[in-house]
Amino acid sequence: MKKVIHAIGVIITALLLFSCSDTVKDEEVPVIDMSVTDAFPQNCVTVYRGESFTFKARFTDNIELGSYSIEMHNNFDHHTHSTSVTECDMENIKSAVNPFLFLSQYTIPAGLTEYVATTTIDIPAGVDTGDYHFMLRVTDQSGWQTFEGISLKIADRK
Amino acid sequence: MQKMQSVNIHLIKVLLLIVVLYTTTTTHAQSRYSLTGTVTDEYNHPLNGAAVVLENGKTGTATDRKGNFRFYNLEAGSYVVNISFLGYKNEKDTVYLNQNKVLSISLTSANKELTEVTVMQSAMNRKSENPLATELVNSAFVREHLSGSLMQTLSRLPGVSSMDIGAGQSKPVIRGLGFNRVVVAENGIKHEAQEWGADHGLEIDQFTVERVEVIKGPASLMYGANAIGGVIDLKQISTPAKKSAGGSVLLNAQTNNNLYGASAKLFKRNNHFYFKTHITYTDYSDYRVPTDSISYMTYYFKLKNNRLRNTAGRDRNGSLILGYLGNQVSTHLSISDNFSKSGFFANAHGLEIRNSTIDYDKSNRDIDLPSQQVNHLKILSNTSWMITDYKLNIDLGYQNNYRQEFSEAVAHGYMPVPKDSLERLYNKNTLTANVKLEFPIHNKHQFTTGLNFESQNNSTGGWGFILPAFSTNTSGVFIHDNIRFSEVWSVNAGLRYDLGNIHTDAYYDWYLTPQDNSQDTYMQRASELKRSFGSFSWGVGAIRKGENTVLKMNIGKSFRTPTAKELSSNGINYHMYRFEKGDTTLRAEESYQLDLGLILKRKNWNAEITPFVNYFPNYIYLNPTSDYYEAQQVYYYSQSQVFRTGGELLINYNPVKHLSFSVDAEYIYSVQLSGAKKGYTIPFSPPLTSNIGFKYSPDTKGIFNKTEIGIDLKLVADQNNRVPPEKKTAGYSLISVSAGTTLKIGKHMAELNLQLNNALNTRYYDHTSFYRLIEVPGQGRNLILTVQVPFGDI
Repeated sequence: MKKVIHAIGVIITALLLFSCSDTVKDEEVPVIDMSVTDAFPQNCVTVYRGESFTFKARFTDNIELGSYSIEMHNNFDHHTHSTSVTECDMENIKSAVNPFLFLSQYTIPAGLTEYVATTTIDIPAGVDTGDYHFMLRVTDQSGWQTFEGISLKIADRK
Repeated sequence: MQKMQSVNIHLIKVLLLIVVLYTTTTTHAQSRYSLTGTVTDEYNHPLNGAAVVLENGKTGTATDRKGNFRFYNLEAGSYVVNISFLGYKNEKDTVYLNQNKVLSISLTSANKELTEVTVMQSAMNRKSENPLATELVNSAFVREHLSGSLMQTLSRLPGVSSMDIGAGQSKPVIRGLGFNRVVVAENGIKHEAQEWGADHGLEIDQFTVERVEVIKGPASLMYGANAIGGVIDLKQISTPAKKSAGGSVLLNAQTNNNLYGASAKLFKRNNHFYFKTHITYTDYSDYRVPTDSISYMTYYFKLKNNRLRNTAGRDRNGSLILGYLGNQVSTHLSISDNFSKSGFFANAHGLEIRNSTIDYDKSNRDIDLPSQQVNHLKILSNTSWMITDYKLNIDLGYQNNYRQEFSEAVAHGYMPVPKDSLERLYNKNTLTANVKLEFPIHNKHQFTTGLNFESQNNSTGGWGFILPAFSTNTSGVFIHDNIRFSEVWSVNAGLRYDLGNIHTDAYYDWYLTPQDNSQDTYMQRASELKRSFGSFSWGVGAIRKGENTVLKMNIGKSFRTPTAKELSSNGINYHMYRFEKGDTTLRAEESYQLDLGLILKRKNWNAEITPFVNYFPNYIYLNPTSDYYEAQQVYYYSQSQVFRTGGELLINYNPVKHLSFSVDAEYIYSVQLSGAKKGYTIPFSPPLTSNIGFKYSPDTKGIFNKTEIGIDLKLVADQNNRVPPEKKTAGYSLISVSAGTTLKIGKHMAELNLQLNNALNTRYYDHTSFYRLIEVPGQGRNLILTVQVPFGDI
């Protein structure tokens, strides 16, 4: 009887010791830095239909970056605002006719903890002008994700 | 003559001496007696697990499967024998022991609510009978600890927690495992719904609960596939007493979400036939949190009057049970329907942040979009035959779970604006049949053998694809033996084999997706899949049941078949903004677990410690990768080795007669030993939690009886052990105060319970809550009142 209790005690102690010996895990999410030179788009900017613009941002991670994606969709219904603190002036709520939609993903070369991403995005001439969201998402190799929601406008260059 | 007389006197002296010697020696050998007996119900069926307590000897035992109990080494004298069993009237008998005695006790069934003491005794006995860690509570526990839903109420038990979807819906979690890893059984039939969904609550009315047994550990052996984490076993076992009729009315009100609810029960029994019926209606408004705004990322939602907009809901449940109790056959048929409609927090559904033109603040009782509506219909039949020592049980069940989820029709990714608000529809039909035969061999063995069949058909609808339609067929066969070596030692062993197959349908999008170098196409999201899974489950357990100390050990293997979602999902979950990809090659999930248990019962205290060690060679989880698909992060269903350990500790101490003090704690540690998330824990790991409670139960005379006043402190530690994409959650402490009493009205006892939860209106975050992701705190201060008034023969 005493032996059994002793055995249980030993097992519990062993388990408690085991449970304290944590292995090193990646606990940090990657970071999007929109303050590098020529970082684009910034919140509340305007881009023009029939033209293209160059996206640029700097990503950092403590261990290794994964990949990133860009999504542009209309905010004609004002469904939400950007993740930026500043609010932009919005046009009136309207229905979409031929809204611009852009979904794309990009790999980041292996082994990097810092990466400056650039890519060119074409805006066709026939798309609806108005309020849009530019969603930028970045992962690291552990599967942590961070995102940035940027409000911008598509307009005609005058 | 003189001589004769002296011889006679001498002879008498010798005889006397012999008699004296004989009696003294026999007294020496026989100064202790045994008291044995059998406990049966009114139809002479043995009752297994009835509590038999000798009041003055302060010792107790439970009857075995044949209804037998034994006390040895009792001193001569008079004893009060108290026999109790859930669902039966207590029996008291005074026995004068001057020789070995055999008692035969027959209990009569009672619809009466059981006293806390009886439940505690039965719970203690059940704990001493099952080599796995168990908890047993009754309807009185539910009324005393009533929360917004069944699992929130039961989460007061150590090792049991809930995943809450607001104030009115919750999912069961046992020792950190939930979803499809916990089986909820109602009268022996597995509850079959959409357990995979984080926002899908359990469709069971907590007011119908008569008896809940929680098995904290792998129990596939007796419950089949999916009982890998544990079982919530619900039973509506009580039968009304002969020639009785009555019922009760229960009223429930809660201040936090302006909840009002009413539940009425009615029963009648003549000789052999009885019926029981119940109806419950509950209506609640948006619940309140101790904050005036929610800020998630840089999104900021101002709350009106601290209410989490659009979290109102209503439930409507009813049931009818028809029963027959014969000498050899007893059977009952129950039909129940559970309907609930509730809203989701309007500003963020999952991670989907939306502004809407809906005026959510016009009323805090209405349910706008997004919302869910579920109807669960159940028809169950339970029949048992007793033929000599053989007991045959046949349980049959039909269930229909009809779930609809509504969201505002909006465009997402390549999906255009849909035509209506029905985002998801799941219609699941389940047929179940269980056959079980129990019989003893040579007194020592109690064999149980059985067959289980289950057939499911799940169709889907709505514009949001996440899971294809599927059908499954599962059958299992098991054998189990309980061997009682002595009064003290018993061993359990069992083996089971299950074979199941799943057939998922192909699914194509209803809208076109542009392709890089070809025509736009209706993307195929799921391909047709046929898989079959076979798995053995087994368990071996031993119990050493001393008078004051019980030692338990169990080692077992359980399994779970992958769900249709884990195998074939292949689409974007726009509530979570992720692309969820199933894996058609997943193996059946297996779990090996060692459980230990130590129960100490002393004069004014008792304690229980139940540690466990658990190993999964192939735990299935949704793994966030570093990849993107259609601009959303890709999550793959993956398998990895997982090691888990932890357990529960419970101490009860009664320093003086009217005061009791209790401490319980639960701790789980999990680590993935392989795969992409090696070193991380598994999703939804509950933090270290402890409850400290004081209870004062004064002797009250007059109209108030059984008065109790209690204060509880819940301490929750930080949860920093998480896996992507979870957040760390800070620890917190909550104070709750409770008071209860019974009022004597005529021959009836009305019961009154009052609880003040989160008394200090503390702002805290529950790590496993559905709303944790978007930084929504737990429910604020809530005053809960329940009144139960019985009528008729009760």
